[in-house]
Amino acid sequence: MGQTITQKILSRAGSVDAAQVGENYPVRPDYMVAYDFPGYTDRFFRQMKEDFGVTKVAEPDRYVLFIDHLLSNKNEHEAEVHKVTRDWAHKNGVHFHEGEGIGHQVAAELGYALPGSFLIHFDGHISSLGAFGSLGMGVRRDLLEGWVTGGINLDIPDTTRFHLTGSLAPGLESRDLIHKIISDIGADGVAFQVMEYTGPGAQAMPLGQRQALCGMAMFAGGVSAIFNPDELSLEYSRKVAKKDFEPLYSDPDAEYAARYDINLNDLSPQIVLPGSARAANTHDVREVSGQKIQRAFIGSCASGRIEDIRAAAQILEGERVASGVELNVVPTSKRIYDQAESEGLLDTLRTAGAHVVESSCDFCFGYAKPLAPGEVCVSTGVLNIAGRMGSADADIFMGSATTVAASALTGSLTDPREVVN
Amino acid sequence: MTALPQVLPDVLTGRVAWIFGDDHDIDLMIGVENIKYTDPDHLHSVCMKAYEEDFTDKVREGDWLVGGRNFGYGHPHYVAMTAMRNEGIVGVIAESFAPGFWRGEVSNGMPLLTVPGVSSAVERWDELEVNWREATVKVASKGLELQGQPLNERGQEMIAAGGRYALLLAEHGTKVN
Repeated sequence: MGQTITQKILSRAGSVDAAQVGENYPVRPDYMVAYDFPGYTDRFFRQMKEDFGVTKVAEPDRYVLFIDHLLSNKNEHEAEVHKVTRDWAHKNGVHFHEGEGIGHQVAAELGYALPGSFLIHFDGHISSLGAFGSLGMGVRRDLLEGWVTGGINLDIPDTTRFHLTGSLAPGLESRDLIHKIISDIGADGVAFQVMEYTGPGAQAMPLGQRQALCGMAMFAGGVSAIFNPDELSLEYSRKVAKKDFEPLYSDPDAEYAARYDINLNDLSPQIVLPGSARAANTHDVREVSGQKIQRAFIGSCASGRIEDIRAAAQILEGERVASGVELNVVPTSKRIYDQAESEGLLDTLRTAGAHVVESSCDFCFGYAKPLAPGEVCVSTGVLNIAGRMGSADADIFMGSATTVAASALTGSLTDPREVVN
Repeated sequence: MTALPQVLPDVLTGRVAWIFGDDHDIDLMIGVENIKYTDPDHLHSVCMKAYEEDFTDKVREGDWLVGGRNFGYGHPHYVAMTAMRNEGIVGVIAESFAPGFWRGEVSNGMPLLTVPGVSSAVERWDELEVNWREATVKVASKGLELQGQPLNERGQEMIAAGGRYALLLAEHGTKVN
């Protein structure tokens, strides 16, 4: 019996011949990634020193640290957390990146997410790196085990295969696909499994759209998501790689927990009602069109990539954001910001009335410009539970960047196909 | 220095303090506006208020929570279960768990038992006898015994040790406790 790409990556990382689903053993990640956040990294630094005697890590090349949250720190404590992180990173000689954008994206741009590699983080959205044929898993505070020992015990997950045919029509994005998948299979449809995307529809999908699709795996119950490498991801990886890599691929006779066939031509724009991404909350945008909004947000580790910004600019070119609506656009990384600037997209958005903001995580979790009670926001963020972006009495709808741009244009939730050319 | 959690015996007795539905988002147990708080008094004052005003008066040390499918769905911040542990809740028995929640709370030393049928088989305040290693749940008053899926060996080691941190400390720590 053949193996999936996930089994092969974890076999290599665990130095075993063939990882079997359900086994548990220590694996050695290529990179152990984190962003600094109060109660996480500052605690890790202290525990490593005081309880484990780690005053300097043995293999600094395998540690990656980002400062991408709380960028406009508001008090001394937050400033201190950043300082502690800088000092620790400098002392240990680990990879350290500050203010370059959201780490899950920057990790791809800087060549950490190479095909065949295995990465862990405490944040589950690192699954977005599956777009490049690498496996990223969120292990929560168990990341400390990796940071202390260099490895981590893992249950080898099963895989469900999603075979994509057709292509995304104008006005459709991979955010529509992941929300439709959750709607169809349920919020635990692939619980404890990896979502593997295959087929011509997967190969036709731009990398940024693949990242968004993989990054939201946790809301279907997935522990990660992955694409097999293809010429598109390999070409990107060769450009950014700082070391050799060996891609891995699923065998044709690999065993899957389940298989789904999805024709992308059948997709329609999806919207997630306030609360959570669970199946019952997910609907065609048309079913809620007309709902007034006051706030709109394009950004986050899932969306806010160049394809999203191009799509938003296309909708808003020569137009104005509706009166009474505030649209904030946060490119996912500085590199994407610069590219969007050079393509004239940000000027188009600014001229349309959008606020274009420095790349960070801060809008997505309500740190920057929090929502006021009673406000309604449509967002490309990753979570729409009450209170996520400010007041618990504000409503957050989630959709694609295209849907957010179309809704910002009209002032109410709008099927983007009504305004896209 | 981090305090070690208490080590659990294999068999535990306690009552069903609450039964949640499917896809339960744990943030709701304390209110999303409280997920950044750590002060035990504050968490006590908000715990389960959205569900039952006097829940914290009724719950006792050793009680269990029961859930439906996919318990812990969403971004499973740690604070809600910290609040529940403060109230004496010892573990959760559910039809199934969301992976992120499962990983985080097993790491915290809390037994999470996957037991099909549990959410409809038991009632609030039923007295349970739970063997967390074998994933068995007995309700003597109903003559009921439910069989769940035991944790794998590593998971059992973790719970027995009092959580991942305690296990890591035992295996790699420099402090003598």
